[in-house]
Amino acid sequence: MKFILNTGRTVTQGRHVEHKYHQGYFEETSSCFIHPLDLMDLDLEDGEHVEVVSEWGSVVLRAVSCEDLRKGMIFVPLGPFANHIIPPRTHSTGMPDFKNITVELARTERERLTQWELMEKIGGKRYENQ
Amino acid sequence: MTELLIRNACVIDPLNDICGEVMDIAVRDGKIVESVGSGAEVIDAGGSLTMPGGIDSHTHICGTKVNFGRYMSPEDMRAGRTARRGHMHSTSGYSVPTTYGTSYRYSAMGYTTALEGAMAPLEARHTHEEFTHTPLQDMMANTLFDGNWPIMQAIHDGDIRRAAAIVGWTLSAVKGFAIKLTNPGGTEAWGWGKDVASIRDPVPHFEVTPAEIIRAMIEANEMLNLPHSVHLHCNCLGKPGNHQCTLETFDLVPNANNKRQSLYATHVQFHSYGGSSWRDICSRSEEICRAINSKPQIVIDMGQVMFGKTTTMTADGPMEFNLYRLYHNKWSNHDVELETGSGIIPVYYSRKNLVNSIMWSIGLELALLTDNPWQCILSTDNPNGAPFVKYPEIMALLMSKRYRNEIFGTVHPDTEHNVPLAAIDRELTWNDIAIMTRGAPAKALGIEDLGKGHLGEGADADIAIYPININETDPATSAEEVIRAFGQTDYTIKRGRVVCRQGTCMVDGKNTTIWVDPHISENYSMDHDPEFAKNFDRYYTVRMSNYPVQEEYIRRNLCIETEAQL
Amino acid sequence: MKINDVVCPFCGCLCDDLEITVEHNRIVAVDNGCTLANAKFMSKEQLASPIRRTGEGWENISYDEAIQYTVDMLLDADRPLLYGWSGTHGEAQCIGVHVSELVGGIIDSTTSVCHGPSILAIQEVGHPGCTLGRVKNRADVVIYWGCNPLEAHPRHMSRYTTYADGYFLQNAFRERKVIVVDVRETETARVADEFIRIKEGGDYAVLSALRAIVRGKGDVVPESVAGVSRSQLERIVTLCKDAKFGAIFFGLGLTMTRGKYKNVRNAIELVDELSRHTKFTITPMRGHWNVYGSNEVFTWMTGYPYAIDFCRGIAFYNPGETSAIDLLARKECDACLIIGSDPGAHFPRGCVEHLAEIPTVVIDPVPTMTTALADVQIPVAVSGIDADGTAYRMDGVPIRVRKVIEPTLPNDREVLKSIHAKMKEAKGQ
Repeated sequence: MKFILNTGRTVTQGRHVEHKYHQGYFEETSSCFIHPLDLMDLDLEDGEHVEVVSEWGSVVLRAVSCEDLRKGMIFVPLGPFANHIIPPRTHSTGMPDFKNITVELARTERERLTQWELMEKIGGKRYENQ
Repeated sequence: MTELLIRNACVIDPLNDICGEVMDIAVRDGKIVESVGSGAEVIDAGGSLTMPGGIDSHTHICGTKVNFGRYMSPEDMRAGRTARRGHMHSTSGYSVPTTYGTSYRYSAMGYTTALEGAMAPLEARHTHEEFTHTPLQDMMANTLFDGNWPIMQAIHDGDIRRAAAIVGWTLSAVKGFAIKLTNPGGTEAWGWGKDVASIRDPVPHFEVTPAEIIRAMIEANEMLNLPHSVHLHCNCLGKPGNHQCTLETFDLVPNANNKRQSLYATHVQFHSYGGSSWRDICSRSEEICRAINSKPQIVIDMGQVMFGKTTTMTADGPMEFNLYRLYHNKWSNHDVELETGSGIIPVYYSRKNLVNSIMWSIGLELALLTDNPWQCILSTDNPNGAPFVKYPEIMALLMSKRYRNEIFGTVHPDTEHNVPLAAIDRELTWNDIAIMTRGAPAKALGIEDLGKGHLGEGADADIAIYPININETDPATSAEEVIRAFGQTDYTIKRGRVVCRQGTCMVDGKNTTIWVDPHISENYSMDHDPEFAKNFDRYYTVRMSNYPVQEEYIRRNLCIETEAQL
Repeated sequence: MKINDVVCPFCGCLCDDLEITVEHNRIVAVDNGCTLANAKFMSKEQLASPIRRTGEGWENISYDEAIQYTVDMLLDADRPLLYGWSGTHGEAQCIGVHVSELVGGIIDSTTSVCHGPSILAIQEVGHPGCTLGRVKNRADVVIYWGCNPLEAHPRHMSRYTTYADGYFLQNAFRERKVIVVDVRETETARVADEFIRIKEGGDYAVLSALRAIVRGKGDVVPESVAGVSRSQLERIVTLCKDAKFGAIFFGLGLTMTRGKYKNVRNAIELVDELSRHTKFTITPMRGHWNVYGSNEVFTWMTGYPYAIDFCRGIAFYNPGETSAIDLLARKECDACLIIGSDPGAHFPRGCVEHLAEIPTVVIDPVPTMTTALADVQIPVAVSGIDADGTAYRMDGVPIRVRKVIEPTLPNDREVLKSIHAKMKEAKGQ
């Protein structure tokens, strides 16, 4: 099913900007807020996993029911999960399309990667000395 | 100990009555001295014109609105770029250069001291940060009090002493230099999108008039024993017929100080218009100058307009909006809570435009019709009338009737019916120019006793050596020579060090910030005034304890401590 | 020990009324702060020493080694990018400009992924704004457009607008009308007097419709614009025109969506129209506490607010070409110094991939997502907690952030100063 993806700050994401390896940051930024009726259409329960695919890539997130949204729109808090599928082009403005991106959603049984796994997938190395 | 000897300098030093005498100047550790030893470094001036470093007593080069002028104008930044070279950082900008650009270009023209024309107290920290990055000039900041709530309240209550105490507290807190009033009362009215129409028009809600603010601030200024006088941007700037407002304002001014003027009226060109609309605007420079000639208590600067592109910026928010509605270019506005306003728009002054031609003419008329050059300082209200790099051309226009006629021949043909310029034959002398750019601004700012604006023993060794021989050059017939010479010194010396040599800056430099600290009795100290503190923390968005500018922002500074009669 | 009037170094509100309790050089309590402030002041996650990536993991190294690595990296680079800056104080940003100029590098701040488009709009049409106190004391209409202050700037409404006391308002909360424009019904939208819910990407059209109605050309506006009814738009215009003082605050809802700087330009031009009827102002909701400071500092030092390229000696500005996202996406830069920001978390993957490939140094107190992509990280004191310095609030008011505890690590300006000094030395200057 096609959706419009928006990303943005949330207070939980903000609280964790200096605690990015915490579970709280992982849970918040790997959430996909979605209207309950859309959940039904996708045959998903609140908290189940969903694969979000843009022209740039795909990422597995946890669906979170949210009535703030209009049907047909999903919201993912600013962070490495959303950015995994945001295209890096700026139309010569310096600013990528962080909002209003067309994506495909489908139910998945796959697990989410962690934020560190996402970084390691592209050649990074987690820092573990906590 | 470092010593320097400048030989064969043809000196013009108006504050010491030296006019064209060829002499040696001795410098030790940054100060002018009687003589130096044989080991001193020697510069042979070869008979070139040598003057104290130039002082700009009204220029907008540092602070919030100046920086916004840069920020909103990449086209202006692109119009003046230089690469990093030796001690010089890269620079950008034509009418609003970066701080280094401003500093280098002033230095190349022999200017060593400047007064930032308008600093909102709440944003003072910003001005001081930019001062730090303007390394080759000593800096002062006019501090805005035109729409200050507690001051207007005190004036309304008839308590001038309290108004003075608030001014004194604020100047100390923000490391300011002088009282600046920009369209007094008008900037507060602009908080509702309105303006004041005359000096008798009360400010909404506060019920004080601009005239009351001006008179109270002149009185407060003297109570605080400040070095400079009140520095006024009159009401009604840029409006046809505003000469009436200006003349009425001048009539308010008592002769309250025997050492200097009681009022410094800035960029008077913008306040000397006759007529009732843009269709019949004309010059009223003659009436304005008659008033100045009969009132020694007033000093003005010109606010000369020169043709070309520039950026206008002032605390006068409503005026900028009116100007924007004429130009339709782009408009920025920045009101400052409880204090003042500001606005910025880019403009193009065209010689083919009648109003612009009249403005150009009026500025020159003010300088030529003011009998005493000590009462009229050379300025463009940089960058409002033109960028300061145009000063050499203005000097040439004032010194040569022939050059003036030549340019007058190129302006809008109807100009001559609206201005008296063509009938004025006066040509200013080298000494007049030295007065208008050195002696007079030093005296008007009250910094000659600090050793600014002259070359007497003990003065700061701020010296400009221009590549011109005044005995061999007749300025009346050599405008090009004059422009070339004043455009770039052979040597600019600051605190006894060569800082600029033929346009190339030789050192990293470090400025001195000059500020005032009036000593006020406990009874009048705002630090112990519960009413003041309560309203401060209630209506400002910054806590009173976070408002004063910390010592970190004025690393090298000169504090003028005064004893207030409070 | 209690310290009063402490400035919060989290968001662009720069609240300066926090009360911090310190015991044994540790912060034990934060009063008056929002949840974001509390998290920042109470954070205990700082790195204790510089780290370097090895084949298998990470090792601790000395500051001298870390600084030397940075110097060598920058001197060896052909196209270095110096990015971030919003999380540090102005004095460090100044040195950053000097370093960039010295190596002919590119310096860019997080502006390019927040209000960069707003700056592009301002460069086209200007910016009628004011300080926040002007709004607090006067505004009877406040519009939040494409922003969610209750989550991103939690005290904005209580300090500066809805819930703040105002000199000219008897009962500020009742007298002020709050209008929220968003695609989501956020917490902020729920406390508004009027919520305008627009369809994604519809901002430009809605702004144009409002401008038309302000100009008296409402008849050209269709019944519904991007999901908003004409009658609601007309009601909003009447509210605005009847206001004594109106203030628009806007966020990334305008800058990040389709239209980008054109959306912001349209919003500014709406304020321009309204200024012919009453007093109106507009203010971007700047995110990082000192992102606006980076624009101020870069502007007086170089002439431009962000995305400045020194590769030809002069300062060259062309966002879209010289901005961090584009440089990384084109894989153009060959070394990167990151300070006071976390592109690893906040940049699209296509940019982050390149960071992982090139030498990268991070100057930051805590491990971030960017740490994983870096070769070296240099921990520093936290500006506003154990380092002081200048910050610029979202409205341009400069405030000095304080040092409330004694540092155990060097601060940003000290680290940058030694990098700069060593580079000058290496270049024989």
